[in-house]
Amino acid sequence: MLSTVPLNVGRRRVCGSVFSPASLEGHPPKLISDFQREQTLVASFQESTDCSSTFKADSQTTSFATIGGSTDAASPEEDALNQAWQAAKEFLSVPNLGFELLYNFRNTDGSQVLKEWNRLSPPSKETAEALEYLMRTSPWTLFEWYGNDIRRHFLVNFRTGLSKLLKSPGEEGLLRTIVDCLQLARRIYLAPVVHYLLPLIATPHQGGFLAQLQRAFHTVVQYSLPWKKISPLLARELTKDAVVILGIDTLDEDSDADRMSLDGTEMERAYSVSYKDWKQQSPEAQAHMMVEGEDCRVTIARDRLLAFLNGLQLVGFGGDQAQKVFANVMNIMMGDFIRAAYAGEWESPSTAPQHLEQWVENVYAQLAVRVLAIIHSDPAGTQSGAMEVNFRDVEKWQAMGIARLGKLRVSELFDVIVDWPASSGAVEDLRRFTNNSSGARLYVTHFFSINLLQRLLHPGASTVEILQVYISIIRAFHILDPKGVLLDRIARPIRRYLRDREDTVKVIVSGLLADPATADGPAATADTLAELAAELTKVQHHSMQNNRSELDYDDLYWVPDPVDAAPDYKKSKSADVIDSLVSLFDSKETFVKEMQTLLADRLIQKRQNYDQEITVLELLKVRFGDSALQACEVMLKDISDSRRFELTVRNDQILSGYRKQAGVGKLHAKILSRFFWPEFQEQEFKVPDEIAKLQRRYATCFEKRKDSRKLMWRNALGQVTVELELKNHTFKDEVTTWQATVIYAFQSDSSEPATKTIPELADELEMTAPLVRSACLFWVSKRILTEVQRDTFRVLETLPAEDEERHAHAAGDFSDASDSDAGDTANAAAAAEAAAAAAAKESAEAAAMEKMNVYWQFIVGMLTNQGPMALSRIVMMLKIAVPGGFPFSNEELREFLGGMVSKGKLEIVNGGNYKIVH
Amino acid sequence: MDYSMEDTQNSAPDAQQASKLNPSGQKSDTQSVTKRLQAELMQLMLSPSPGISAFPDADGNLLSWTATITGPTETPYEGLTLKLSFAFPNNYPYSPPTVLFKTPIYHPNVDFSGRICLDILKDKWSAVYNVSSVLLSLQSLLGEPNNPLNAQAAELWDSDQAEFKRHVLARHQDLDDE
Repeated sequence: MLSTVPLNVGRRRVCGSVFSPASLEGHPPKLISDFQREQTLVASFQESTDCSSTFKADSQTTSFATIGGSTDAASPEEDALNQAWQAAKEFLSVPNLGFELLYNFRNTDGSQVLKEWNRLSPPSKETAEALEYLMRTSPWTLFEWYGNDIRRHFLVNFRTGLSKLLKSPGEEGLLRTIVDCLQLARRIYLAPVVHYLLPLIATPHQGGFLAQLQRAFHTVVQYSLPWKKISPLLARELTKDAVVILGIDTLDEDSDADRMSLDGTEMERAYSVSYKDWKQQSPEAQAHMMVEGEDCRVTIARDRLLAFLNGLQLVGFGGDQAQKVFANVMNIMMGDFIRAAYAGEWESPSTAPQHLEQWVENVYAQLAVRVLAIIHSDPAGTQSGAMEVNFRDVEKWQAMGIARLGKLRVSELFDVIVDWPASSGAVEDLRRFTNNSSGARLYVTHFFSINLLQRLLHPGASTVEILQVYISIIRAFHILDPKGVLLDRIARPIRRYLRDREDTVKVIVSGLLADPATADGPAATADTLAELAAELTKVQHHSMQNNRSELDYDDLYWVPDPVDAAPDYKKSKSADVIDSLVSLFDSKETFVKEMQTLLADRLIQKRQNYDQEITVLELLKVRFGDSALQACEVMLKDISDSRRFELTVRNDQILSGYRKQAGVGKLHAKILSRFFWPEFQEQEFKVPDEIAKLQRRYATCFEKRKDSRKLMWRNALGQVTVELELKNHTFKDEVTTWQATVIYAFQSDSSEPATKTIPELADELEMTAPLVRSACLFWVSKRILTEVQRDTFRVLETLPAEDEERHAHAAGDFSDASDSDAGDTANAAAAAEAAAAAAAKESAEAAAMEKMNVYWQFIVGMLTNQGPMALSRIVMMLKIAVPGGFPFSNEELREFLGGMVSKGKLEIVNGGNYKIVH
Repeated sequence: MDYSMEDTQNSAPDAQQASKLNPSGQKSDTQSVTKRLQAELMQLMLSPSPGISAFPDADGNLLSWTATITGPTETPYEGLTLKLSFAFPNNYPYSPPTVLFKTPIYHPNVDFSGRICLDILKDKWSAVYNVSSVLLSLQSLLGEPNNPLNAQAAELWDSDQAEFKRHVLARHQDLDDE
């Protein structure tokens, strides 16, 4: 024995390491020690004694039966027995008074009805003797008969009534009525037995007899009223009261209406299950909050429910079935409570799990214990059959509650993310949930991905919004799962989607260049991600060296990737938003190119300094390295250089005797190194002669200073400060160069206001007509020009006086006049805008044609070398051969090629193939 | 059982490595070649030289091209259109492309199957050459043959230009309209 025990222990340990301990518990080892064997022997012996006692009772009755059966002749003893039976039957039998009576008296204390049914009157002396005799000789037969009589009577009198009652739909408290009726019936049946029969027999046997009758009653009740119909009613009853007892109704109330408004003053309620109230209390108060000072409503509801359940148990609806219904209801209650208490409660630090645990322990479990003490499966009413609620159960419920809370948070996750960082408490709750089980992690990612797909990644959401949410996701999931596996999984679809969006780069870059000072402002959120700029300025000490952590063999804190990581999962040690966004694109080139374009736009604007851009560039250089952003740096250097150069030019000009001419302003130039700046789309036009003269002077100065370099003027880029003096009004503002050029053309010395038409201007300025029109409309909106007739503009030397204008407009209607006047200006402004848009479109079209010319070279090369080709083949080849792909559709290309055919550069040969003409 | 385990353990990584390394190496090669050829094509398209032109074939991998040379003026080839095929090796530009005349041509440096004898396409090849420089060399070769592969043509070139031109025209046929 001594030697086998350690061996066994050892084996068990081995088993435990291989199989889970749970399976061991399920199949206890066969080895039984001597002591255990002894115990079981004792137990079995006890069992057998029990059996023998019941057997004795049985044999008694059977012996009586044989006596009765064998003696046919009526002996005096038999006579007495018959008489006694007769008397007992008369006394016990229930009058067939029908269900109505029972129903009408269901709410009384019952004494009245018992009298009515003749259940309380004591037996006459003879009857009492007869009963005593019977009880002495054959109590079991008597009870058996009475049990059958109960059944018969119930079926005859009550069954139809109750079924009818059960069928009446949707009545409030229907089950209570039924239970009340049944309880009354039960008293009717059992009252005489309890009062007059049971005292006749020895106390130890009383319970058994009563149980027999009860069983008979329960059987017939259950037979008459099918459980299928009872259980929904029971569930309803339970729910009604449980909602009150568990405090769920008060939670709903809270969310519906402010408690302040109920009676003007805040109801001070010591007892509350509300999470909001709970959070505000001190820790000591928190501990007592759900235990003491219970609301009277709750007490009433609980008493009512428990009384009802008592009745239910008495009439035979308790037991397993009721427990199942109760479990169902409690299950739903748990979900309801969590939803009511915690939905939308996202503040950090979150104590929701603690609150939930306390609630489960003090409120939820308490109700369960009390209810289960009443509805137990043992009909005999002994405590042994009651379901025990032990502490482990409570713990299990708490775990369940936490899981439910997690589920709630997952379903809220999208809104949580949108509200980030105000909602970090919810993520803390979620973290508890995901740490508990591995399935939860999968659930979170799966559910959230679907959610994202439905709510975020669709054409209706703007790129800024998507990026905003993505940033929040990065931050939130970094807290949720610092390893980044969950983020990795969630981010994939978002990143894929963002890559497909054309303006993603633009939004990111403009976000980076935004002024971080405005990041907190209300206006900033709408169309720029100013947050990014703020993020960029944060100290990033880890930027470069962590990239190769996987190859760092000296890293003593290395841990393998988590098990549920994707194969190409890359560990990111930080929630670095900018890195994540920039790594969206395969190469930094895309990013840098966009950066250049935006930077160019900002740099050619006239501003005091470019500190903001310089800062951003320096910060980006830390991340990307100097070489990637070289072009941007050159651009910045160009700007500062040209400012310095301008000073020298001014000095030179002063030295060479240049005097400022009247009527011509100052010329400031920005000298850009063409190679490093992006292409500008612009419309060419002729600047006024005076300006051109200035430009030439500037250029010669430049070429003198810098050998072998030439200046090329970009007239369309830049700003002009224009001062206009008209007869009775002046104008001073910054406008674009082409707008200034157009208004300059209207300058005249004559007293007559100058009048020009669009074609004239277009010829004179070598500007495209739409651009001229756009500029003219701009000046109309500024009330410098008026459009005399279509495409003819005249200078508005004198502003019409207010009342004059009113005259000019509607003769009588004064109130309308100012409106229409304002409307006019607005119209003109709108028209100017539209014209500007048209001009922009034209220049874009010109750019597209320019691009098409590059493709034309490709097409020529293709057709020269490969022979005639069909359109579809040309498109296919262009897609392969042109770097960056071919952006035009088949239709556009067909149109273009058609143009070339009509120009005689192509011809169409057999089968629609295009052929080059030599 | 143990042996087989050992076997797979020993052999598997090797096999894997072999299968892993080769295609990836090749792939990166092809990629750099493709990139280079794409750049050359772009250059040809953006700054075309008169008389020469080239474009990739339709097979999509950019490794075979067709080129066209127009015969230079004041040579027997004036006005003729000559087609060539370029086949680029995987390690281009470190080895020269294989260039053949597809148009039948009568020329001292070209044999009857279109093979060309030109030093920069053989031992004098350097990575700084490209499609356009090869084509320009070939264009000038049409006017100044040097290294006789076709001895009869070389002789005729020196002796009788008119007869040479007759031969050229007799041999020439346009491939254009297939």
